[in-house]
Order: sequence, then C-alpha cells, then structure tokens
Amino acid sequence: MNAHRVTGGVALLLAGWLASGAVLTIRADEQRKNFVSCPIVRDTASVPCWLTEYEGEMYFLTVQSDVTAPVTPPWLGHRVLVEGTVSTEPRICGGIVLKPVHLSVLPERDASCNTMLPAEERYNLTFEPPRPPGPSKGRLAFDNSPPAAPLAPAASTREFVIRYDFDRLVGFSHAGLLSQVLDFARTGDAREIEIVGYRGAVLLSNGQTMVEEQTIGKQRAEQVSMLLQGANLRGPSYKVSWQDQSANASGVDDYLSRRVVVTVRR
Amino acid sequence: MTARHLLLSACVVFALSVVVAAQGPPRAWWAPGQGTQLSDFATYNNDRGELGVLNASGRLDTRGHPFFEPIGTNGRACVTCHQPGDAMALSVRSVRERWAATGGKDPLFAPVDGMNCPNLPPDDPRSHSLLLERGLIRVSLPWPPTRPDGTRIDPEFTIDVVRDPSGCNTDPVYGLQSANPSISVFRRPRVAANTKYTTHQNFGVSPFIGKNGMPAATDPLTGKPTSMNLMSDARAPTLAVQAEDAAKNHLQIKASLSAEQIARIVEFERQVYVAQAISTSAGNLVEADGPPALGPRNLAAGDAGVLGNNTTRYVFPLGGKWAHLDRTSDAAENVRSAARESIARGHDVFMFRTFWIKDSMHLNSVGLGNPTKRTCATCHGMHMTGMDTANGWMDIGTTNLPWASEVPLNPWNEAKPQMPLFRVTCKPTVKEHPFLGRVIYTQDPGRALISGQCNDVGTIVMQQFRGLSARAPYFSNGSATTLRELVDFYDRRYNIGYSEQEKQDLVNFLGAL
Repeated sequence: MNAHRVTGGVALLLAGWLASGAVLTIRADEQRKNFVSCPIVRDTASVPCWLTEYEGEMYFLTVQSDVTAPVTPPWLGHRVLVEGTVSTEPRICGGIVLKPVHLSVLPERDASCNTMLPAEERYNLTFEPPRPPGPSKGRLAFDNSPPAAPLAPAASTREFVIRYDFDRLVGFSHAGLLSQVLDFARTGDAREIEIVGYRGAVLLSNGQTMVEEQTIGKQRAEQVSMLLQGANLRGPSYKVSWQDQSANASGVDDYLSRRVVVTVRR
Repeated sequence: MTARHLLLSACVVFALSVVVAAQGPPRAWWAPGQGTQLSDFATYNNDRGELGVLNASGRLDTRGHPFFEPIGTNGRACVTCHQPGDAMALSVRSVRERWAATGGKDPLFAPVDGMNCPNLPPDDPRSHSLLLERGLIRVSLPWPPTRPDGTRIDPEFTIDVVRDPSGCNTDPVYGLQSANPSISVFRRPRVAANTKYTTHQNFGVSPFIGKNGMPAATDPLTGKPTSMNLMSDARAPTLAVQAEDAAKNHLQIKASLSAEQIARIVEFERQVYVAQAISTSAGNLVEADGPPALGPRNLAAGDAGVLGNNTTRYVFPLGGKWAHLDRTSDAAENVRSAARESIARGHDVFMFRTFWIKDSMHLNSVGLGNPTKRTCATCHGMHMTGMDTANGWMDIGTTNLPWASEVPLNPWNEAKPQMPLFRVTCKPTVKEHPFLGRVIYTQDPGRALISGQCNDVGTIVMQQFRGLSARAPYFSNGSATTLRELVDFYDRRYNIGYSEQEKQDLVNFLGAL
C-alpha cells in the first residue's frame, strides 16, 4: 500500500487500528518473558519438574520427558536462556507456566546453577506424565517428528530452515531434519545447494539485548555444508554464505532469527 | 638381566600361578590352527556356571577357517582374543592360564600389543602387566586422526602425556613424538558374537548421528549408515572393516585379507551366539518354558535393533517367570528358587530403579536434561543386549577423571598407576566441554581419538551384556574386576544408594545373561 494515496478517512481508521494494535502488542509483550537464569529441578513422585526463578517469581519450564519432546529440559551447571510466554494454565510444581517456551542451554559452565529440590506432596503432578522416569508403556512421549511433506514430482526447489539454540551449532535435535535435506537432494539428483547462515539476537525483558557471537552465522553455514558433504552428498554445487550482522531483536519470537536456510535446487 | 630383575619376575610368575590355582581348573583354550570342530551347541565352565555357545548354522569345521587359523605373522588367529569359552571375548583368567601354561610363549603375548609396549623385554611378565592383570590389549592410534578417505582431521584439542607407565606414549619409536605420532591406549577385546544386534540397521540408524548431528560412518560396500556400535571407539563401521583392521594390527598379516577370508569371518560372526546357559545357583537358564531373554537360542531368535526401554518389549524379557516361586520340602530346590527370584529382582532393579544420572556426555546432552531421573535401562536400552541402539558412545567416567579408577597415591601404598594419563586441552576456537571444562584428564580419550572432538573425550561405546560371567574384567579398561565392582562403580558415580540386596540381585541378574 502506498501511504501517500491513503485518503483522510481511511488514514484515520488505519491510525486507530495501528494504535490499538500497538496497545495489544504492548499487552502481549508483557506476557513475554525473555531472561537468563539458573534452571532448578524439583523431584516429584513421578517425573521431575524443571523450573526457574526470575524477578522473585517461579516459572515452570517443562517436565522431564524424552528426546521426542518439543521442549527438552535444561542442564544444571549451566544457565539457560528462556524465551517464553506466560500462559493461563494453572501453576505446575509451583511455577507459572511458560507456554510456548524456547530454552537455550548457554555453553559456559556455571557451577552456581545447582539447585535440586526434593519432592513435596503438594507438588504432585495431576496429569499423566508424558514419559515416566523408568521404562515407558511402549510409546514415545511425543510424536512430533515433522510429517513428510507431500512433494509434487515436479517440485524442483525446497527450502529447509534449521533452527538453533543460542550460540549453538548442530546438535542432537538436528539429525532428523538434516536427513530430510539429504533425502530430498538425493531423490531428485540436486544440482545446487544454497546455505545461508544467520546470527540471532534476543531482546530480554530487562531491556538488554543478547547477541550471538560474531561469527556464528558463518560457523553454522559452513558446518551444514560440511555435514551434508560428509554424508556423501557431493554431487551438487554448494553456495555458502552468511550474515555477520545480527537480526533486529524485538522480544517477540526472536528465536526464529537463529537459523540456517538450506535451499535445495534440483 | 640383573639378579634383582630375575627375582622380581619370578615373584610375579609365582603370584600369577597362585591366582590361577585359586580360580580352579583351567578352561578349554582354543589354540590357533588346532583344527577341531566347533559344535552347534557347546557349554564352557565359568565362575558362575556355564556359558552356552550356539552356532546357528550348525557344527563348524575350523580347519582352514580364517577365524581359527594363524593367518598373520605372529601365530595368532582371531580366536586367540575371541575365545568361545570367554563369550567370544577374552577373560583375564584365560590370559593368566595361558601365561602359566606356556611361560608367556603363547602368541597371545605377542609384543605388538600383548605387551605394554613392543620394546620391552618379552619374557618378563611385567612387560605384559596390563594384559595379565586387566586383560588389556594395546591399541595404537594415529594422532592426529584421519578420516576413512585418508584426509587428516584437525582436532579440536591438544593432547599431552601426563603419565606413561607403559613407556609407549613417550617412546621415540612408538610414542606421540615419534616419526609416526601415535597414542597407545589399552582396551578389552569385545564380544565377537550376537552380531546381528551390534550391526543392526534398525532403530536409531540414520545418516546423521542422533547424539550430535554429525554424519554417521557408512558401510564402504553399500554406502549405508551403520549403527557404529561394534568397537569401543566406533572406528570400524562393519564386521568386514573390523576384520581387516584386526588382521593388520593384531595378527600382523603381511598382505590384506582376501575377499573370501573376510566373507568367511563375517559369515561365522553373524551366526554365533553366546549367553550364560547354566547358573551355579539358579540352575538351568534355558529350560523350555524359562525366561525368554536367557540363553543363546533365545538370542538367536530375538529381534535386532529394537528399543526395549518400555514395558511392552523389555530390554531383557523375563516374562514374569521367576518373580515368585513356591517353596517345597526340597532344600536344594528352594535354594535354586531363591537364586531365580534374586535374578528376577535384579531385572527389576535394572529396569525400574530410578536414580539421578548427571554430567554424562551424550546422555544428559541429548535432550533428557541434566540431571535426568531414569534407570539403567534408559541407556542400556537395546532389546536382548542392553547396548544403546545406535551410536552408543557415552562418558560415564570409566576413563575420565575424576571418576575413573585411579591408584591411591600415598606414602603407605606401594602400588603404582598402570594406566596412562593424558591431558586434553580444548582449543580456544571451540566451546569447552559442557561438563568437564576446557582441560580434561583421561586414561583413554575414547571416541575423541577418532572424531577429534572435545565433547567425545572419554566417551566409550557401551558393550553388550551377554556372557558377562565368562569374560571378566569389565569396562573398556578392565577397571572392574568383578560384576560387583561394576555395580559399585555405578553406585558411586551416580550416588545411587543401592541397598546390599539390590546390589546382590543386580549382580545375579547380570551374571545370568
């Protein structure tokens, strides 16, 4: 839309919509909680709860589950970057529920993050544990593996977005998606693979901005290229680039900025 | 050789002969080229009963068979370190018996890796102390490591030798500063049986490793990813590659194995199954209506590469057979029933007894959180073997300090450390190890000697649980002399707090596998 062509009446309406939207954004942002803190694990009679404390309030992050869970627990011995939204769900294990929530275990060790709380009767979980602490009942806790996208036989290009924890490279959670890239490239005899690495930033709730390390976009892009070639995908040409400039952090879904985009052309 | 030297050697030989005598009559030793038949099912005595060895393809004539013939230059065969009576591995008891029987002349004690370092005096038992005392074979690996295509890996860390009791890591010919820089580590031979499980193509096998997203090793013949569960550092992706590696480095073969030799070795290894068959206390473990996990025939019939950490298909299904047994007026029968109930309780400890697993690389780092409240079966989850289903290397502290077993040094203790100690320093260009930091002390860097990665330092591919009673000591560095010491290690490492009853039950369960 060309703003110069907007009539006076429409402009007034637009201004009002924008203003109300801004208010909504501010209210929504108040529910966003982006912060760095020590994780806390609380034992229960069933599965442990993972919590954290921020500005005098306890927040619930996740329960212990298995590797199929959309949110996997943080680590004692390390601080965690929490990017979450306060939900209306009842407290769990005494903590305000952040949902959705994205957790990044920060690479540096921090021995002060060592709080393990004992089980208390008042914190019994009232829902079926997605995965008990011992053997399961023959199923994984979650089945969140991305469904295989139906591909038209003529599809010649596909884009894959690999997302990362803060300041991290490829880890345990990426094997499935990398396999999808490999499959698509192999089945279609790919001719070119373009890889672009990005460097993210997060606006924290205290107003500070956390920026990933300077070369992380380069490291990510080069690593993905190395991994695909290491898996014997050597036929296509590789076009590898990255952005050293970090994304603009808004405090809303900043985790999306930590990524590599792989475009496979056949 | 000085008189003092001779006296010391004589003392060591005498001590070994006393140990051997205390362990009872010697077990059957399979000598290279002995040419006898390996029957379709045979049992071999061990301290806890009898091991069953099943040739699923039927009786095998070993004459001319490359697994059983001394095809190298040092008189050894594959069977030298993969003895049927030792669950197709090698027990330290057999090692000591061979020394006593041959005065150290058996090809098992070949200088290349049956000595702490090839340049030591060959007839001195102290030159073979790691083999004689812990059942360890020297494994010499190039540093820095290379990829399968021969290109050199730029490691993420530097490595220094802090302690070198064998002398091999600082030796001008064999050491880290030699013309061919090499690192000597000392490891137990692994079980060359039940291989449909260790080489499966099922759950967890993927082009990218589920623990770190790196490319999985592939079968050079098919290009398919492998489970990488064969060797303690996962350096050989297939049985064929392992056979070639072993023929070159352990048998000192001059030429390469022929395609036919490789095929025959692999064919044999694919059909041989080992498991405990008789328990001294619990009786026959392979009765027709017995627990479906026990014995080699059940192993041969089991499904490979299946996750068993669930209650619909247990890791080691006992079928509830021995949970509660009626007592009779027969005292011997009651003793047997009590032993069987102990095995069943041990199974439940393995499967259901939770504890906090903390700071274990490639376990706590793969989405479970640190710590995670789980059970033995969480890591040891492969149906029928208790291995990881794929890419099973982890650091539980068997070789990394501060958990690795070290000789207590003090003025009142004359024992000296036997294992080498390395200092690994992660380079500033990589992130520090998440649990151990930038400087790590280790007796064996494990997988890191192949991958060059900091996070792999001290990670070892876990072994299968079958035939344990036949092949002490345990862990890749032989640091647990008995199953009880193995259980005690876990109890100490993870602050489990097992009761005495739980420990005994767990030992009895493991001993019945």
